Amino acid sequence: MLSLFAQLLPGPFTAPTIDWLALGPEIVVLALFVVLVLLDSIKLERATAFMPAVANLGFILALIPIIVLAADGGDRVLFGGSYVVDSMALILKALFVLSAYVVVLLSTNYLAEGDYWESEFYSLLACSVLGMLVMASSRDLVGIFVALELLSIPAYMLAGWRKGDVRSNEAGLKYYLMGVFASAVLLYGMSLIYGVGGSTRLDVIAARLVEVGSEGIPVITLAILLTLVGFAFKVSAVPFHVWAPDTYEGAPTPVTAFLAVASKAAGFVALIQIVFFCFIVRGDIIQPVFFVLAVLSMTVGNLIALRQTNVVRMLAYSGIAQAGFMLAPFVVADELPVQSRQAVVIYLVIYAAMNLGAFAVVIAVARKTRSAEIDSFGGLFTYMPGLAVALTLFLASLIGIPPLGGWYAKFSVFSVLIEAETPLGLATAIVMAINTAIAAYYYLKVAKAMWFDDAPDGDVTPVPVPASLNAAVVLSLVVTFVLGVLPGLITNVTEYGPLAVGGP
Amino acid sequence: MSNPLSDFLRDYLTVGIFGSLGFVLVGLLLFIAWLIRPDRRQAQKYIAYESGVDPIGDMWSQTQVRYYIFALLFVMFDVEAVFIFPWATQLEVFGWFGLVEMTLFILILLLGLVYAWRKGVLKWA
Repeated sequence: MLSLFAQLLPGPFTAPTIDWLALGPEIVVLALFVVLVLLDSIKLERATAFMPAVANLGFILALIPIIVLAADGGDRVLFGGSYVVDSMALILKALFVLSAYVVVLLSTNYLAEGDYWESEFYSLLACSVLGMLVMASSRDLVGIFVALELLSIPAYMLAGWRKGDVRSNEAGLKYYLMGVFASAVLLYGMSLIYGVGGSTRLDVIAARLVEVGSEGIPVITLAILLTLVGFAFKVSAVPFHVWAPDTYEGAPTPVTAFLAVASKAAGFVALIQIVFFCFIVRGDIIQPVFFVLAVLSMTVGNLIALRQTNVVRMLAYSGIAQAGFMLAPFVVADELPVQSRQAVVIYLVIYAAMNLGAFAVVIAVARKTRSAEIDSFGGLFTYMPGLAVALTLFLASLIGIPPLGGWYAKFSVFSVLIEAETPLGLATAIVMAINTAIAAYYYLKVAKAMWFDDAPDGDVTPVPVPASLNAAVVLSLVVTFVLGVLPGLITNVTEYGPLAVGGP
Repeated sequence: MSNPLSDFLRDYLTVGIFGSLGFVLVGLLLFIAWLIRPDRRQAQKYIAYESGVDPIGDMWSQTQVRYYIFALLFVMFDVEAVFIFPWATQLEVFGWFGLVEMTLFILILLLGLVYAWRKGVLKWA
């Protein structure tokens, strides 16, 4: 106890040496946030015209330090090991920044045409992305928690952005209450882990968990369970998914895309950090937990998705099922740490591209039909063939049809589950195979409406699609295709980069 | 015992013992009071206690919703103070590094005030 106090007493202080380049992406996005708020404060309503352009420019600028760091190679360890910039962190940071870029493209016309607040939207988005960037590098309980709150709190507000709409209010409130509840559970779990580990740094805790061995199993199990439950809420894994469909349906569609892709990915990144750098040493505890979460998520998500008549709600439930697929590699995390982590990261990147693309088409079509019911997609091919083909490709990718990206994502998850040769891993693979087949039905239902059904009311006049939406669709499509044909673009970085030799 | 993990768990035992002691104490006092007090009901005893003055009007009073802005702004300055006080006591220790950091922190929080002022939420209208 005395030694603990001795550590806390202020010794001679030396300013930490900070690797500014390693913090480059975060600094650019923080500067973007400040610029957006200042512009809004100075120009007031006159700022709305160029807000989206500034936001897009900022996110592109944030890519520059990421590319420089990637070209430079090597791990950069900051703040005594609690902040690490490695190749995995860089891939995830690029994912977050690009997702935010696409979400801005999706929002530009949506916000301008509806009666919404515009300037605040982009500054809150930047704030949330900043939290995600921090999350990708945090190797410390406090860092992870602060990043989680930083990315969640703006998202609660964004979900309720359609202020006059009761459904949007419901979406925001549900998301907020569930998120706060999850944070409370998570914090309690983290406090117990801190008690056991005696440090907030993940590597120190992992070493301590190994050291105590079989002693204190109940408290360690409780701590790990509570922490994982907290994150299970964030990634909307069954049985902690109930908020997701209502929030996704009620929130403005671009925000839904942001929540379903970037926010969910950030939850998974948090799971990756805490599982692969800490809990992995207690495979006996985490294996069954992830088995139950993964199997329930994919099965329940898929079965409920079958009954949906609204595309956004269908995508919400399909997102729950896809979260199950992403949770699957965690089941074999302690057997094949490097490969399973790689599988999760690959799935996250590809899922982001294809899901953002699907939402972009839904937003473009809703400009004409003013609804997201599956019926309203009837005859889309006859009057807007480009969008129909794009959405079909995204849905095919979500099913996992080669040569699209979704195929490779599923393949990498399957292969890691089978290579591990554990009973739970094999069982997960079997459930996953069955679920992939089930999922094809509801994705193809939308495709069938577009290609074979007649347009509702026989209205086949196309509406102009704004350039920003077109750009979002094309960008997502290109990424979906390229990653399906050349998956080596990600795997090479993760295989030969520090990710392969790193790990606990 | 030298094992830190057992020590950690034993600390929880202390919390548990003190917690249950509190419950037992309150329960015991209420029980004794119930045993020995006389039971004479009067209508006056059911009026809300206002330090001897008879209550006037409805208990349900509403607050102007616009106060929430001031509550939010208060939180902003409150958090600022929470971080500034410990820094101020160690000003010489942290030197220029601390000064720059704190200036950045205050500037970012100040941004919130500038925003609130420009958006006109500080006007009571």
